[in-house]
Amino acid sequence: MVCISFDKGTLLIKGNVKTPYGKWDSRVGAYRAKSIYYLDILDYFIESNISFQDNVMKVPPIENMENKVSLRSYQKQALHNWNRNNKRGIIVLPTAAGKTYVALKAITDLKTQTLIVVPTLDLIDQWKNRIREFLDIDAGAIGGGKNSVRMVTVSTYDSAYLKASVLGNKFNFLIFDEVHHLASYSYMQIAEMFVAPYRMGLTATYERLDERHKLLPHLIGNIVFSLDVEDLAGKYLSPYIYEKIFVRLTDAEQKKYLAEMKIFRNYLKDKRIVMRSAQDFQKFIMLTGRDPRARKALLARNNAHKIALNSEEKIKLLGKQLESHLGAKTLIFTLHNDLVYMISRRFLIPSITYQTPKNERREILEKFKNGNYNTLVTSQVLDEGIDVPDASVGYILSGTGSSREYIQRLGRLLRKVEGKKAKLYEIVSKETVEVRISNRRSKKQKKVV
Amino acid sequence: MCNSILPSNLLVVWKRQGKIYPRYIKKTKNNFEIALNLIDVYKNSVGKKKQVIKDRINEFEEHNYRFIRGLSILLDRRSLYKCNSAFDPKKLRYEVFELTGNFGPATTTEKRNQILEEASKKLELPIDKIENNIYADLDSELILMSFNPLAPEELLELYNLSLTQTMLFDSIELRFTTSHNWQKIFFKTKKLGLIYEASKNGELWVKIDGPNSIFKLNRRYGSNISKLLPLILKSSNWKIEAKILWKYTNEIYSFRIDSINHKDLFRIQNETEVYDSIVEADFGSRFQALKTKWDMKREPEPLIVGKHVMIPDFSFERDDVKVYMEVVGFWTTDYLIRKIKKLKEIKVKMLVAVDQSLACEALTQLKKRSSINILYYKKRIPLAPVLNFLKNSHKETHSKQLDFLKNLMINFTEPVVYFEEFAARIGVSAEAAREVIIQNPPENYVLWSKGLIRKEKVEQIKQKIDKEMKTERKIPLAVVMALLAEEGIDSTSVINSVGYKIIWRGLDIEKAEVVKP
Repeated sequence: MVCISFDKGTLLIKGNVKTPYGKWDSRVGAYRAKSIYYLDILDYFIESNISFQDNVMKVPPIENMENKVSLRSYQKQALHNWNRNNKRGIIVLPTAAGKTYVALKAITDLKTQTLIVVPTLDLIDQWKNRIREFLDIDAGAIGGGKNSVRMVTVSTYDSAYLKASVLGNKFNFLIFDEVHHLASYSYMQIAEMFVAPYRMGLTATYERLDERHKLLPHLIGNIVFSLDVEDLAGKYLSPYIYEKIFVRLTDAEQKKYLAEMKIFRNYLKDKRIVMRSAQDFQKFIMLTGRDPRARKALLARNNAHKIALNSEEKIKLLGKQLESHLGAKTLIFTLHNDLVYMISRRFLIPSITYQTPKNERREILEKFKNGNYNTLVTSQVLDEGIDVPDASVGYILSGTGSSREYIQRLGRLLRKVEGKKAKLYEIVSKETVEVRISNRRSKKQKKVV
Repeated sequence: MCNSILPSNLLVVWKRQGKIYPRYIKKTKNNFEIALNLIDVYKNSVGKKKQVIKDRINEFEEHNYRFIRGLSILLDRRSLYKCNSAFDPKKLRYEVFELTGNFGPATTTEKRNQILEEASKKLELPIDKIENNIYADLDSELILMSFNPLAPEELLELYNLSLTQTMLFDSIELRFTTSHNWQKIFFKTKKLGLIYEASKNGELWVKIDGPNSIFKLNRRYGSNISKLLPLILKSSNWKIEAKILWKYTNEIYSFRIDSINHKDLFRIQNETEVYDSIVEADFGSRFQALKTKWDMKREPEPLIVGKHVMIPDFSFERDDVKVYMEVVGFWTTDYLIRKIKKLKEIKVKMLVAVDQSLACEALTQLKKRSSINILYYKKRIPLAPVLNFLKNSHKETHSKQLDFLKNLMINFTEPVVYFEEFAARIGVSAEAAREVIIQNPPENYVLWSKGLIRKEKVEQIKQKIDKEMKTERKIPLAVVMALLAEEGIDSTSVINSVGYKIIWRGLDIEKAEVVKP
């Protein structure tokens, strides 16, 4: 009799039957296969009339749940397409378009053990709250010191990766929130080490600069549904305007900026280094470990960037802008934490960075939601997934060149409220590298304005 | 244990021809000085802000920032930082931002003062105290409360260990051999979800990777593999080989270190014998106190069972006889059955000491069915039955060998026979060989304490000695020894056996003489 069981993130097939995807493991004297092929192997046994004993799944008990989710028409279509694709595949929807609801509906339809994998601890809480609200059950949580497995469980990517060898046989349905993360070298092993046959990926930004998103169809399934911001702006998302405001560095800043950039450029010139791609820069970074001059050049470049990104003129302009939009729900985005705290101290407004204690962060977001706070300054941490309700004005004071970051920041402003017209301003230092960084990220913006 | 992994961007390696090594820091005067300086920065910064320490460290980073930053991370882990504000910064923020919520952001100086004045009234605190403490709980604002100092040498050793562990994060497999700690290493291997494979080719080598490793080269287990390193390095002799998948180039490099060449680089706390249980410790010390002819070892080298290993708690060795003892403190019937199955497979002499208070019927049944030697104990393992078992094992082996030898047609041809050599050739103990040969020595040979010499050979030697003696009846011992060495004999005891006498004059061999009686 063939016996198939789950062994630390893999399938172990005892009984001397060669199976598709199976590989002989001499260490234990049995065939071993990746967990992702669980269904294929069972199919093979059944079709070949091989009788087998299946000891793979060890699932938590089923809990009774409510179904309080109602979907918009495009969400229904997305779910329909996913169902038709053997309950596998990726749904691409802009931020604030309600990806979560599609997933929740899928859970209530399937009524099976489900693991939701999310990038941050905040998102664990957010999903848990939604599950309580719409499914009326308590979800388990894994990550950030929590480790409870329930019928519906939410985990971070990190924890799912680290614990895949014990969690891999506890769920039939996997949902990957912000699924573009899954394509990284480590995280993709989550998809390989879990046996779950049903899989759903959610994202607003499918493509990755490193092209690794091409691995996702094998792990999760193809894209089954995709909509852009433009498709939804107006009807389901707020209409918005976008404006880039340029400021000049102060004379002192300009002088310092040029001096620092000169150190950097001279080094490149001396060493005949041409910067064309991310890899070129990576190579330069490697040099800084060995060559003290390279290190100096890097520090000079960083200083120059800091001057451009954190220019005093920007702060002044921001002050004027805040004055003119008094009362509007406003989010201010920066790249560096230093600038967050500088703005927070200067304008006496609440801030959120990765250093903000969890409770305080929740409290701030709560107060921002119900209007006690109107203005909030933050670095990257709000970029992904977290719902910041109905802000209508956004300022990007500094950011990376990533268009993903841009789309997500824009998404923060687009949750639909009747009569709202969102405004996103970008404040950029003139005649500095920042202009190029800004252009890179907002390529997409030209389409929408 | 203190976490000693460094961020991967601080890992410094050199690679050449498929080999990879961390850039270990040698204990040079210069490096001592750097370590000492950094330690002093921390020592002298108690009561100061973390940012101040960071700025100070940055000044050193000019030279070799990855090394300096690595050291400072290790030092940070020995530091206790705390928010030292007398006022709760969270409370300050809460009140101030609440006011901003009403007044709007402080876009003008007047509005800012207005908000702060209101807050000052409400909190009953001066404005400057509010401004200074509003973010006193930020990481960079924390105060160094205490620092656990260490010697510069220790810091450098710790750094080298950290480099190695950090590099092993990217390892796809580890192979090692070691002189101690086997049990702990295997226990931890299992706990970490890794898989081992043991093989013996002279030395016992163990390869460690994970279940997924058969599908692809997998860095997944690197972090767990690196956790085994300190356990291996703790013993006195070790060799380690690892395959590193270098993520920047996606190439595999091999890494090798051993205790002979690299021991001085690391912080090694030589482990004295540590027993898992009091029962074992108690038995071990009482047995050692007896000073028997048996050489007792705690946690001997593992026995190989198929691809797996089993590490008995004790081994006892005397002559060629090796006996093992396993102490079973806590067990289930299932566990015992598996253990006994394993024991049968390896076919060694094993005594199993079982806590009597845990004995059950299943055990007695097992005992009946199998020929396993079980010794029950209450609280402490009695010495007498163990010694008896050892004695019997020795006797049994010995008498078996005697029987074997007696039935063996021994036909010596070589001029000089050593018992030990002969015994080793046949596979019996020297003791048994001697016993049988002495009982019935071959006729054309003369017996001596270490073996046999052919009679013709004895004559030859005698002639040579006599020739050297000329007319005198004595010559220096050294001369005779040289003569014997020519014949391939390295023992003076043969001299008596061939009819001469050694006269010792004190302990000095130069003064000893050989005389003809």
